[in-house]
Amino acid sequence: MVVTQKGAILAAEEGTEKGILNFIKQALSQGCFDAVLIPARVPTGDSFAYFLVQNESFLEGASPLSPIMPVQGARVLSALTRGGKGKKRIAAVIRPCEARAAIELAKLGQVDLENMILITVDCPGVIPLSDYFEDPTKGNEVFKHASQDWNSKPMRPVCRTCDKFSACGGEDIHVGTLETSSASILLIPHGAKGEDILNKLGIPLEEDISDWEAKVKRLTEERKKGRKQTDEALRADIEGINRLAETFSACINCHNCMRVCPICYCQQCNFDSNKMKFTFEDYITRAETRGSLMVPTDTLLFHIGRMLHMSLSCVSCGMCEDACPMAIPVAQIFTLVGDRNQEAFDYVPGRSVAEPLPLTTFEEREFQEVEQSYAGVSARQERQDD
Amino acid sequence: MQESLPDRRDRMTKVLRINKGAEKGLKELLKFLLEDGRVKGVVALRKTGEDGAISYSLITNADHIESTLPLFPLMPVNLGKQLSLLTLMEPATHPIAVVLRPCELRAFVELVKRNQGSLENFLFISSTCGGVYPLKMAVAEDIDKQLAQYWEAVEQGEAIPDIRPACKACTYFVPYTADITLSLLGNKEIDKQSVLFLNTDKGQSFVEGISGQLSEEEPDSATMEQIRKEREAEKQKLSDEVETKALGIDDLTKTFSRCIDCHNCSKVCPICYCHVCFFDSKDSEHGLVYYETELEKKGFVSMLSETTFYHLVRLFHVSASCVGCGLCADVCPANIPLWAVSLKTGEAVQKAFDYLPGKDIEEGIPLTTFKPEEFAGVE
Repeated sequence: MVVTQKGAILAAEEGTEKGILNFIKQALSQGCFDAVLIPARVPTGDSFAYFLVQNESFLEGASPLSPIMPVQGARVLSALTRGGKGKKRIAAVIRPCEARAAIELAKLGQVDLENMILITVDCPGVIPLSDYFEDPTKGNEVFKHASQDWNSKPMRPVCRTCDKFSACGGEDIHVGTLETSSASILLIPHGAKGEDILNKLGIPLEEDISDWEAKVKRLTEERKKGRKQTDEALRADIEGINRLAETFSACINCHNCMRVCPICYCQQCNFDSNKMKFTFEDYITRAETRGSLMVPTDTLLFHIGRMLHMSLSCVSCGMCEDACPMAIPVAQIFTLVGDRNQEAFDYVPGRSVAEPLPLTTFEEREFQEVEQSYAGVSARQERQDD
Repeated sequence: MQESLPDRRDRMTKVLRINKGAEKGLKELLKFLLEDGRVKGVVALRKTGEDGAISYSLITNADHIESTLPLFPLMPVNLGKQLSLLTLMEPATHPIAVVLRPCELRAFVELVKRNQGSLENFLFISSTCGGVYPLKMAVAEDIDKQLAQYWEAVEQGEAIPDIRPACKACTYFVPYTADITLSLLGNKEIDKQSVLFLNTDKGQSFVEGISGQLSEEEPDSATMEQIRKEREAEKQKLSDEVETKALGIDDLTKTFSRCIDCHNCSKVCPICYCHVCFFDSKDSEHGLVYYETELEKKGFVSMLSETTFYHLVRLFHVSASCVGCGLCADVCPANIPLWAVSLKTGEAVQKAFDYLPGKDIEEGIPLTTFKPEEFAGVE
């Protein structure tokens, strides 16, 4: 969590968002980067989208902290750079979970970070899409107040228990806003890219950030506790194959969770491919083994398959849950599983580009306990066979 | 449109009456079909597990019929699409009875016209359809509370509050190509009797021997016409409320401004059958060069700039066959009234081609048939 000892303090008399925008504008005009990727309200005013902006004047209407996350920023970065980096250096003003997902995608070869500068902001969370779109005007108000007070109640369920709402280590510059004096923001560079920008702008790194760090730590601990509680409650609800099957029984197989997931990057999911199409005889045979077969078929298999593929890199952004038409708590379930899997590999997705994906590295001595239990099972099996 | 082709739903038909409520009688029929080995399987809505949701099931064990809810007013998926997926590799290998709604049957017929499945071996059981509740209500577990009111309104042939807007505006609630049609709308006897119109020889032969009374009757077309008129008026009202009147580019942009580009409308649409949508393909990717060029031209570029284009192309592809099931709107995370957009576009296109999707398997899809003399005005 601690990324550097010193930070810079910037005045933000007109509020956090304006403060961030002023810094971005200054950096853009000084040529620290050529364009900015940043959320802004769509022309009709009832939603937000990422905009790539080159002219400073268009930054006026940008919202570094939009109330909703209609698209995960990492997906946007991937759309921009998966065909290769461009000529322009782009500063992406995104949320910590978006930066973390972008770093995971970089490891997966789906994002090119070379000409990219990741700028993250302490994140108060986002409002679920369904709540927001019911009444966008009200949604804006609710978010404004809740984010000022760091009240996570109206936010996505996974935002409420997010313990990685601040600097994650992989960003180039983090903006600290958590309980900083209301008229200022903290800039905390991480690595050469970030430091160069602040140097170029003549912003001295003299501010002691330990006070802010302590606040972040306190909220992180609080969130961790909350996360444990909700995890336990959820676990009781979904554990075991029968409970799991019932939880996902509402699934209509639309795969929208996969389509909005920043980590699910496959051009074509196996579960949308011809490999998952079977003969009629096959369906009938399957129906006959249990008396009936749910249609659409293989919905639970899809979720377990997806979990297996992406849970090590899951950043708990909550997009999947927001996009589920059946309100299955997908993000909460994937967070529960993701946390445990990531812990097993001592891996934090998005912590560092240099940290390899667990499944791409093999250590001979790891997970011996799994081998043990497997050996135990086969020994028991052998005894029974005898 | 439907007036221009002989309507097979209006003639004298054999009718089977089973002396139980509509749903009970239907379940008895399904059980009879399975137990007697006339069908190998039944596809109907069913509750999964104790806490499970209501979803479609392919049932082969007659004991499982008890747990079905074949008339539950919910459409978790368009069954037409699912039947297409089940029969994509080969037609049904055994006779299968399917309980589905008129728009699901029409969707399946449209898909079969596109070689995305086969009608072979299916016994289609449909009903005069009251409509279904939005998926959101299933999620909130609100439907059970509404059921009494729902069936009361169905019995009276009255408008049902809170159902999908697409259903409120649906004028095609009488199935076209069902082998058996269960009379529901405006049927005052649904508590006492299952009234099944045996529209086809197939329908008649499958039910032979079941206990019930057979007669020959004419459908109550006056009542159906009355309901159709009311729905027509409701459609007008609802579609006026949605701001897609002009369908000009400004209105369209406004309508689709909240789109998050998830393409779930296409994923659940029974007519969108493409294996990979163009908009999910490599061909629709831009790469940075494009964005950088746009930046030079305009100074900014939206990363969601092509959503309206996506919707227009989708409309272009599906509107001749849109059956108005309303699933697109139900699954939209941004609450876009897609049902109204589809309905308006679908109606206009279908009218221009004098085509009613799913009415008749023999009728070619408009864009696959060419008449030298048509649309001379456009030329």
